[in-house]
Amino acid sequence: MKTATVNRKKVLDDYRRFFPAAALDRMHSEGLDIVEVERDGAFIFDEKGRRYIDCIASASVYNLGRRPRGVTTAFKKALRETDQGNFPMISREKAALAAKIAAFAPSGLECVVFSVTRGESVDFACKLVRGATGRSGIVTVDGSWFGQTGFALSLSERANREMYGPLIPAVDTIPFGDFSSAARAITDTTAAVILEPLQAENGCRAAYPEYLAEIRRLCDARGAALIFDETQSGLGRTGRKFFLEYSGILPDVLVMGEALGAGVFPIAATVFTKKLNRFMNRHPLIHLSTFGGADLGCMAGIAALDLYERLKPWENAEVMGRRLRSGIERALRGRRRPNGMVSGAGLLLAIDLGSPENALSFCRAAARSGILVKPGDVDASSVLIRPSLLITPTQTNEIIGAVEKAAADIKFI
Amino acid sequence: MQASASGKRALTGREEKKRVEGQFARHINSGQVKYLKAGHLDVLETMRRGIRFTDEATGRTMIDCFTSAGCFNVGRGNPLVLAALEDALGSLDMGSRVLMSPWKAALARALVEIAPKGLDRVFFASGGGDAIDCAIKLARGATGRPTIVSTIKAYHGHTGFALSANGKEHYRRHFEPLMPEFRFVPFNDSEAMASAITDKTAAVIIEPIQGEAGIFPAADDYLVDLRRLCDRHGALLIFDEVQTGFCRTGRFFACEHSGVVPDIMALAKSIGGGVYPNGAVLYRGLPVINRFLKKHHDFHPSYDGGSDIGCCVSLAVIRFMRETRLWEKAERSGARLYSALEDLRRENPAIIREVRGRGLMIGIEYIHEFMGPMMSDALARNGVFAAYSGNAPQVMRFMPPLVASDEDIDEIIAAARAAVAVMKSLLPLALPAARVPFLLNMLNNERVQTLLFNWLRSVEDLIARIPGPGGSNK
Repeated sequence: MKTATVNRKKVLDDYRRFFPAAALDRMHSEGLDIVEVERDGAFIFDEKGRRYIDCIASASVYNLGRRPRGVTTAFKKALRETDQGNFPMISREKAALAAKIAAFAPSGLECVVFSVTRGESVDFACKLVRGATGRSGIVTVDGSWFGQTGFALSLSERANREMYGPLIPAVDTIPFGDFSSAARAITDTTAAVILEPLQAENGCRAAYPEYLAEIRRLCDARGAALIFDETQSGLGRTGRKFFLEYSGILPDVLVMGEALGAGVFPIAATVFTKKLNRFMNRHPLIHLSTFGGADLGCMAGIAALDLYERLKPWENAEVMGRRLRSGIERALRGRRRPNGMVSGAGLLLAIDLGSPENALSFCRAAARSGILVKPGDVDASSVLIRPSLLITPTQTNEIIGAVEKAAADIKFI
Repeated sequence: MQASASGKRALTGREEKKRVEGQFARHINSGQVKYLKAGHLDVLETMRRGIRFTDEATGRTMIDCFTSAGCFNVGRGNPLVLAALEDALGSLDMGSRVLMSPWKAALARALVEIAPKGLDRVFFASGGGDAIDCAIKLARGATGRPTIVSTIKAYHGHTGFALSANGKEHYRRHFEPLMPEFRFVPFNDSEAMASAITDKTAAVIIEPIQGEAGIFPAADDYLVDLRRLCDRHGALLIFDEVQTGFCRTGRFFACEHSGVVPDIMALAKSIGGGVYPNGAVLYRGLPVINRFLKKHHDFHPSYDGGSDIGCCVSLAVIRFMRETRLWEKAERSGARLYSALEDLRRENPAIIREVRGRGLMIGIEYIHEFMGPMMSDALARNGVFAAYSGNAPQVMRFMPPLVASDEDIDEIIAAARAAVAVMKSLLPLALPAARVPFLLNMLNNERVQTLLFNWLRSVEDLIARIPGPGGSNK
């Protein structure tokens, strides 16, 4: 199917026929019932050639923009030389990307297990700490969103989690930022504490450095491991390579999301210490992933990391993030509702719109003004702005203009 | 061998393999390197084309009978699939889950066209485990019931729900406690299932052919019984066709053999054409499911499954299968391979206990576990790469690409014959040991095997490196 021949009506018919009807309604309510046809850098184009700035970036996958040339070119070349490979085998591609990740990741994290998707990486992280410590307890914080698979779901804040029956036991959820409940919850039976240092889907709530330091101290005192999920906040998104650099607190396990494959290939990774890997070395092939770390995906990942290292997009994210944030704050100031509060870091920002209804009308108005945004999965009153990390000042101004126009367009309730 | 641009001498195949092993051991897993060496499975795959690849270290070209547990049904580097992928890379990327995608819609349509009648709605997933997690969430959510009945030795994946449904202690034990309300009953036992299913059962989950367990096909009658039992109790029937789907067993989907249509079917592996991750969950639009989805359509969103590029690849896979009627080829080749292996079993009852399978999904069960690694080696020396199941080393799986020709199949048969002949020559050494219960346990212990076979490997490697008149250092 050529992109030029896309027929919106036919796509709509197929969606009605093969997917839940409610899914289309939801897209409509978010202003996202748009056929995504062409994509380039910061932009998406629909079948009529209408241009939008992609401020969803597939939940922080497109950190390098859409179709970064360095990655697509390298991937095309790799196609002639390799394929996904036999998953249990040693492979040059897997070894090379793992070594590259070890060099890229914060110090002390040098062992890698690959996966396709975030949830799978989180599930593995939980299995790793249970296996390595011989303990079962996993402590998580409220407001979390780790993904859809079994462990990830069990650890996330989901209103209707109990619909899926009894989930993973020995999970304890504590209030984010609360020191005394952390002290109570982290015990000698705790395998690990897991948290997102910056909760993107929860209004970009960030952990205070003192809180992370205290969690680190408690984990060390009790012999528990510390897991950070930086799927959304990592790989330059927040103005640093990883958000943890703001606090300087190092975890034992770091979940790196699909920004690793730059949206060209789905690949994610769990990176951890040598000490924890002793367990995996004793029990090889105890956790498998057919597609995780596919050799072709590793080639895409290597090209993407090369690009991250060369372009240092975190620098642009910091500068443009500041510009975007103050621009949005200015644009929303003086409106009775919402208060226009903006949270987050770098180019991972959340606007508090006061209610889920406001958030949805804002998303629709924003789409009409040429930017695509989405409410948070945990805090539905917030709307997230996360464009390509390589956006230009002009594009940043365009986003600010669209936010201002959208805010003026809607009636806040 | 070429000199590298930096002027340094390019590494020989063996040196390169050693370098890769070192890097792999340091940053991924050293235990895995040792384990693969012990099992003679330590190859470095290059020139992955059609049904073969070449081991860089030995230069040995082998027929791939493992195929990443059934991922390469259309062959490795399938030209039609590669062309579709290259074309997709010209204008697409993974796309955005929250927007509408013509490619996602097209793949959903294609999947429904090939699926058993009734499975006419689609979710996407990032792979097998993710698809199973999606399927179990859908079953629990839709029925409002907690219990999942799975089978002993079942293998469904490694994510939270899938792992909880695995019927093997081996994969579960270090990670307990897993999800409550998962029950396990013996496979192919209708009575056991009848007593396990209650009005609290959300779903029964089963592989129509247990793959990782060591290739155990479900009897057609058994699947018919499961359908009847599920209907009687209002439970949903989930088929895990991750390995058996996409023509592997001689039908597009293995459930077609019995005519039983499940309520939910999980797909992955070969849907990705051996190049790109993808997965799907097909389901029937039952009232109980539709009611649930009305409120919770987004119960298992996938950013990585059903990506635009992935859908283009999967569409090419399906087109290739339909155009070449690949399932027919699988059935024909499967019959050829099966009968030859069955002959081999009759001739060698001291080595082969049983041959099982359907289509080109065939397992050989040896008399003793320690024979698995020995056969892997003997087969590799004869140009066939076949792996034994991780924790059932007595069973070797033969799942070559379905594009294999009759001559290719005959080559596999010849290699199996030659390998068995080698085994026969070694048995006078191994079998007396196997008669001593203590020694047999030792031989069958995975850790002991890893140590022992690694030691044997280093002796072999040493001998191979001694330059002789025959130039054994190949």
